[in-house]
Amino acid sequence: MKAMILAAGKGTRVRPMTHVLPKPMIPLVRKPVMEFLVEHLKANGITEIMVNTSHLAPVIEEYFRDGDRFGVQMAYSFEGDLVDGKIEGKAIGSAGGMKKIQDFSGFFDETFVVLCGDALIDVDFAEVLRFHRERNSIATLVLRDVPPEDVSKYGVVETDASGRIVQFQEKPSREEAVSSTINTGIYIFEPEVLEYIPSGVEFDIGSQLLPELVRSGQSIYGITQPFAWLDIGSVPDYWEATSLLLRGSVAGFTMPGEQIRPGVHCGINVQISWDKVHIEGPVYIGSSTSVGDGATIIGPTVIGSGCVIQPGATVRECILADYTRISSVAVLEQKLIFGSKCIEPSGKYLDIEESQIRWLMDDARNKEDLSEDEQLLLEEVKTLTVS
Amino acid sequence: MKLAERKIGANIVLEVLESRLGADKAVAFKEAVGSYLNDGVVSVVLDLSKVNFIDSSGLGAILSIFKRMPKGSELILCGATDPVTSMFKLTRLDRVFTMKKTVDEAVSALSL
Repeated sequence: MKAMILAAGKGTRVRPMTHVLPKPMIPLVRKPVMEFLVEHLKANGITEIMVNTSHLAPVIEEYFRDGDRFGVQMAYSFEGDLVDGKIEGKAIGSAGGMKKIQDFSGFFDETFVVLCGDALIDVDFAEVLRFHRERNSIATLVLRDVPPEDVSKYGVVETDASGRIVQFQEKPSREEAVSSTINTGIYIFEPEVLEYIPSGVEFDIGSQLLPELVRSGQSIYGITQPFAWLDIGSVPDYWEATSLLLRGSVAGFTMPGEQIRPGVHCGINVQISWDKVHIEGPVYIGSSTSVGDGATIIGPTVIGSGCVIQPGATVRECILADYTRISSVAVLEQKLIFGSKCIEPSGKYLDIEESQIRWLMDDARNKEDLSEDEQLLLEEVKTLTVS
Repeated sequence: MKLAERKIGANIVLEVLESRLGADKAVAFKEAVGSYLNDGVVSVVLDLSKVNFIDSSGLGAILSIFKRMPKGSELILCGATDPVTSMFKLTRLDRVFTMKKTVDEAVSALSL
């Protein structure tokens, strides 16, 4: 079976992280989300994977390249232009992306899977395929039950007893919703569906292709599976997903690095005196990181590689990107430090440059001395808070 | 540097009417509040409810006012918005300063 990973989105709800990384490349405990997906597809025998790329396309393409490092074959369909030497994404919708590939090479010449590149899943594709074949379906949706209060975030679906889809509702209110079963954006299609997508225009699967199929008298089906679904569509979701993984609540996930003791893992070349630092797991400390004496690290926390946690600093329930330096006077609680931003679980953030808090947190590679004012401020804060 | 003042006996409530307490306002802010201290004000309630951005200079200005408070007097902060609270929590200064939610709570907390 072949697959297409949709990786062309802008990821606006995960800003400011997506200013620098396309959403599928956001790391969940060190590994890009999309890498988990590729591994899962491979484990399900799916080894020819097309990926549509747009926003920050090179980050994805340069990481996965031809896919052989991952035991699969991967190729890209770039949606955008090169303007003044700069790559500019111009996405054409999920179905538009499929059609572009088909028009180019007829790649989809057998049953294929289409799914979003920004969620960790453990869907049993063999089961979905069996269901799809049994019903002679040209389009099968993987559905999931969610708590009724969450339906307004999703496309709600109603099926009859045979699994045939009888109604779609886009983000309905709880009262209007006909069910609490939602479309997860994971599909199995027959090549025929591509005939229903016009060429060269923006076209979306959920809101355009599926209704068009139904309008044309096609029967499409949905199978509800209770699978693990870690979606990183927003900063709060990303936080929750990281926390679940660290706490061991997701089957099949293994912590990277070496285990120092239960709940505490680290990479290599780590500078730390384990008896002089207070650590409560689950914590991962990245390679080449330095943790000073008297520091406190409370999990669930991921500390990137090349970080410097200065003596006495407190880091509690944080996710720190590579090369983050945390000053001795800092107390970080529930912060995501990424791309010179200090982000709260709500998504609100401080810009480290704009707020001039280099003396509190900075890029560890920055050898520039603090300004006199910053030095003075640091000393004053130290004096006031040492008691 | 716009401040609204309200005297309460020998104490004063100063409401900062700027939305940004940054490098460009820090010095003026220090001087403005400092002038009340020069005039013999005892304790100060600083209402920060209109401030939605503070950087290191703004923080430094508040610290320097704190250091200037005469012995036995108090500086109480109130109305801190999320960005301001964040800054104080990040530096542990939320444990050094008395921070109240509202002006009324802050005034009640004044022990004079």
